[in-house]
Amino acid sequence: MPLPDWKTTRRGFLGGGAGAAALTAMAVPLNAQSPEPEPLENYAPEYFTAEEWQFVMAATALLIPSGPTPGAIETRVPVFIDLQLASEFGTADDWYMAGPHDAGADPLLGWQSPLTPAEIYREGIAALNAWCEQTHEAPFAELLPQTQQEVLIALDEDEVPLPPELRGLFELLLQNTKEGFFADPKYGGNHRMAGWTHIGFPGARASYLEWVDKHNVPYPLGPVAISGERG
Amino acid sequence: MITFLRILTGLVLLGLIVLAAIIFMPVRSTPALAALPDDYTPPEGSGEYVMRLADCSACHTAEGGVPFAGGRKIESPLGTIYSTNITPDEETGIGSYSLDEFRAALYDGVRQDGAHLYPAMPYANYRKLSEEDVRALYAFFMEEVEPVSNAGPETALPFPFNQRWGIRTWKWAALGKAGEVSTTGDALYDRGAYLVEAPGHCSACHTPRNLVMGEAGYTAMDGDFLMGGEIDGWTAPALRGPDSAIRNWSAEDLKLYFASGRNNHAGVNGEMQLVVRDSLQFYSDEDLDAVVAYLRALGDPTDGDNAPPVDPPRTIDRLDTAAGGTEAVLTAAEPGMALGPRLYLDNCNACHFVDGRGADQVFPELDGNPLVTAASATGLIDTILNGAEVPSTTVRPYSLRMPGFDHRLSDEEVAELATFLRSAWSNSAPAVTIADVTARREVAEERAAAE
Repeated sequence: MPLPDWKTTRRGFLGGGAGAAALTAMAVPLNAQSPEPEPLENYAPEYFTAEEWQFVMAATALLIPSGPTPGAIETRVPVFIDLQLASEFGTADDWYMAGPHDAGADPLLGWQSPLTPAEIYREGIAALNAWCEQTHEAPFAELLPQTQQEVLIALDEDEVPLPPELRGLFELLLQNTKEGFFADPKYGGNHRMAGWTHIGFPGARASYLEWVDKHNVPYPLGPVAISGERG
Repeated sequence: MITFLRILTGLVLLGLIVLAAIIFMPVRSTPALAALPDDYTPPEGSGEYVMRLADCSACHTAEGGVPFAGGRKIESPLGTIYSTNITPDEETGIGSYSLDEFRAALYDGVRQDGAHLYPAMPYANYRKLSEEDVRALYAFFMEEVEPVSNAGPETALPFPFNQRWGIRTWKWAALGKAGEVSTTGDALYDRGAYLVEAPGHCSACHTPRNLVMGEAGYTAMDGDFLMGGEIDGWTAPALRGPDSAIRNWSAEDLKLYFASGRNNHAGVNGEMQLVVRDSLQFYSDEDLDAVVAYLRALGDPTDGDNAPPVDPPRTIDRLDTAAGGTEAVLTAAEPGMALGPRLYLDNCNACHFVDGRGADQVFPELDGNPLVTAASATGLIDTILNGAEVPSTTVRPYSLRMPGFDHRLSDEEVAELATFLRSAWSNSAPAVTIADVTARREVAEERAAAE
């Protein structure tokens, strides 16, 4: 499969990310109602090890890239995933997890792995990094973005030889990245509601009756979060 | 000098004698209002019904506790008062009360041992109960209620309020005449007057207090009667007079509010929730009609017709695009709008709408709502912070809950929002300060911690 015509260097990527972060910071209203949290590079993960954290930072940055529009990094998607894995989602508390398990069954049969999402990340990242060392001589986070992208595509297309109980890794990562970008900020991602502002979603206001009849009039107000914070 | 000392000593002695008399002279209890035969038997079911009319259970049942076993906290201006066990348990309840002793508690606020009851017990109103109803209540509590052993917490008010003998002097100044209720000769009105002025004890909250903290009126003949009072810091709205919101309610709306806790204007809130939950919803249809007729006669309603309200317009139809004022600001939703209306759009608009009219029997109107425009903003602040719940009733079983916004809004934001609400649409009430909100948030936190 040909790669999309999208090239970036690590330096360029970081520069773009920093620029977007600066833009986002400028967009914060002067009466920002919550203090700015710990910067991502100082964040102490609740679930991930340092090596896993670097993988998630690098992988989510590719899945929703930063540029003129907000990406996964400045919306703090990695924090969202870390907090989710440290809580009942990670431990599959409310999933049916008793056997029998047939991890190799037809994917149409849904979740068949005996592993919880947190375990899939843990074992999956280790297995993927091992494969990267074997084929590219460095763990995922240290590869060039171009190579990282090739690895992710290979992972998506089941070309990375993973044991069947880990085959959900890419799907889980992509899904959680999107969730972190669009979920309410109370879960750690969608920082300053940048994901919502980007697509024009007004958030948890749930009140537009007087707009039903106003055709082709843009809705003027920015989003509001469950915490009441205004974007 | 010696003469002066003699006079002073004399006065002190006299004072001591009077004090001793106040403390130790037994109280002469008010006799029965009618002489019923000793073997009088109240009609079947009347005891429980009178208990509902008088709402004994609201105060004498702890939250989630056994009915009538007492222990409910009542926040009074003097401190926390705990309600007592009124089940017929011999030791901890009223099982050993004779009929006369029971009547003395209802009429004169005197306990079996002669101690004076705090006026949290509405004997000022119960002293108007008919002898038939007293008998019915006595029979109900002695024969139909199961005895429960529950000593409950003792009320321990700070000095000087722990000197119960002082209540005796208060009674001289504060109590009205036993058995006196207003009458016009109209059967429906007279029944309504009895229900409101005696067992319903509406005036305990809805009548202002005079200088000695007694109710400023006990019957419709008194000008201040039902002109609005205060309960636990909340304004209990006026039920008559030019500022009474219920003047603008139809008879149908009034009745629906009593029976279900909700109508096209309001949802029941604060302490009144208990009144609807434990008392008013059990009033018979005829008695509700009587209460409504009485309140409407008293309140001089603006619209004379007793017809049910016309079919309300659908919510979308009633939005007026040409509207000015508050509705126009909220409809335009300009990003530069003031914080008050912006908070309304972000937090309130989904249920109460830009015209502040809510939805019939579900979401209360905020335009003209007496809780919003009350003299004391405490009720409004508490409702924004802690939410509210309309209780389940027989005719409207679904309990409706408004969430609290204490975690979503800062004290400054609640003050801005409350100030906006009090001046929005046709409302015109003074602003709310941040300090007001901070104080109520502390009260809520203290009470939650004490639970």
